[in-house]
Amino acid sequence: MTEVSFAVLGLLLVWGTAVGLDLVSVPQGLLSRPLISASVAGWLVGDLETGLRVGAILELFALDVLPVGASRYPEYGPAAIGGVLLAAGLPKWDGVGVGALLGLLVAMLAGYSLEWLRHANARDVHRHSAELDGGSTAVIRRLQWSGLARDAVRSSAVTAVALTLAWLARAQLDGAVRMPTYLTPVLVGVGLAAALSGALRTAGRGRRLAWLGVGLAAGVVLAVVVTA
Amino acid sequence: MPIRLCRIDDRLIHGQVVLGWARALGIGDIVLVDDDVAASGWEQDLYRMAVPPELKVEFVDVAQGRRRLPEWESGPMAVLILTGKIETMSRLLADVPHPPPVNLGGIHHRDGRTERLPYVYLTDEELAELRRLESAGVAVSAEDVPGAGAVSLEGLA
Amino acid sequence: MKGKGRALVRLLAVQGAWSYERMTGVGMGFAAEPLLRALESDEPEHHREATARAAEFFNCHPYLAGLALGASARAEYEGVPGAQIRRLRTALCSPLGALGDQFFWAGLVPIMMSLALVGVALGAGAVGLATVVIGYNVARLLVTRWALWTGLETGMQVGTAISASWLPRAAARIAAPAGLVAGLAVPVVGAWLLSPVAGPRLAVTLLAAGATLALVRWGGARWTSLRVGLVFALVVLLWTRFAP
Repeated sequence: MTEVSFAVLGLLLVWGTAVGLDLVSVPQGLLSRPLISASVAGWLVGDLETGLRVGAILELFALDVLPVGASRYPEYGPAAIGGVLLAAGLPKWDGVGVGALLGLLVAMLAGYSLEWLRHANARDVHRHSAELDGGSTAVIRRLQWSGLARDAVRSSAVTAVALTLAWLARAQLDGAVRMPTYLTPVLVGVGLAAALSGALRTAGRGRRLAWLGVGLAAGVVLAVVVTA
Repeated sequence: MPIRLCRIDDRLIHGQVVLGWARALGIGDIVLVDDDVAASGWEQDLYRMAVPPELKVEFVDVAQGRRRLPEWESGPMAVLILTGKIETMSRLLADVPHPPPVNLGGIHHRDGRTERLPYVYLTDEELAELRRLESAGVAVSAEDVPGAGAVSLEGLA
Repeated sequence: MKGKGRALVRLLAVQGAWSYERMTGVGMGFAAEPLLRALESDEPEHHREATARAAEFFNCHPYLAGLALGASARAEYEGVPGAQIRRLRTALCSPLGALGDQFFWAGLVPIMMSLALVGVALGAGAVGLATVVIGYNVARLLVTRWALWTGLETGMQVGTAISASWLPRAAARIAAPAGLVAGLAVPVVGAWLLSPVAGPRLAVTLLAAGATLALVRWGGARWTSLRVGLVFALVVLLWTRFAP
């Protein structure tokens, strides 16, 4: 169980806001990948190992998101930060699964917040379509900055929800007699299948599928060598 | 092989089509039906770049498209037909026996259109046009990427 | 052209006002402002029209938007008719979206993240992750800069420039290494995540993975991996709570 100060909570909130902005708005540079966001969160709470493990499980799920900009998809970045805060407060191995579960739940909810953001931006743009069509640079600037500000508010709200849920769950599970022992292996299993099915879908058929098979075979050999 | 899907998407060929639908449905041939693009070499060059090398892509106008529908239906490859406008699709499929299903994939904001789904904006006339298509025996639904869940015309009203 | 540097910085946030109504249109207009500024004093009417065109509906891969931005800006200065610039923009959405999705979202990003996962599993830790993030962002900046510079240099000929560039070939070739690395990562990460515990828990993992693959493959579109994960987790929680 890692104690977390309010200063660290504040840092997590700032980090989560940056992570949320990274996904769509700026700079789109992998910060929003759950492995990255969770690892930094783990480092901030003083438990990098837990951050890496929760982040890795959620990253496996994120690899299954169809990368073509659908109208709704889960957002794993800020969610992973809440997952790490929760897992760092629980017994080592079982806690990782509990943290990852919180991450999955918040990731799904966060998908709806993206939809809200795009609607809010659309309403704003719609109200100003006459000025836009008249070529007003001032209006373009205002719309751009308010879009960014709106996403910052959204990102920090999603992070705050993730952190609050983690905090409540920490208190609830503190000293719980029975931890859900099989949660970690189940979510690792589903995650591995998720990453694999994402890769299968992207590979399609033919030669690319063969490359995936070669990679899998090499991975099994490497895993056996490393574990042995 | 049958024509697997007729998609209306004003962005024409893009990621949702070549990565999403083409791979999910095992498509071999994408047919872009558009009178303007069929007459414009440089635009065809741009759209051709959007298609991965394992897929065939063809550009036809509506008249050629209507003539070749039976050929695609019985050809060796699964076909995805793409138009940018509702009106093009209804001209293409008018009075066709056993028409393939129509997918609304992206029809975006323009004056007079209202939001029906985040990726489908329609005027009332356009919705009526789609209803006419449906009553002529064409199955019409909206779905941006495979697995997102198809929304029927009822859901767009 | 003046304002290139500022336009490049603004391009990093080209999706900052992404909306269902204009998609990246507002971000494109925002990034165009420094490029079009020189028109403002000489031809105010043309400047207003060009700005309005720049902020119209647009949708493509964010890293490649500079190709369309630069090409349209150059075309505006060359006095190309507005309708033609509009058609170029519309037609560019397609290859810039499809090539970018193939190369970055379905290629480079999964490759980098799979490598990061393998690195973490083999003990590379924070240093490995930092290398991946920094390397990716350097590449992202170089591509964004290449896109804007190429667009500005070639104007209406940008299509020819794109098809002669590294981009279409790289987009066609990246799927094979992406599959290879993703395949490599799955067993390695699985082994690391399950350590130091094995035995019955390994069996549970394999069972969950098999059931997930079956559900995702044959269960219909409703069964996304995220939903499967949530449902299976609920089962585990109920079992933990109520099992004797």
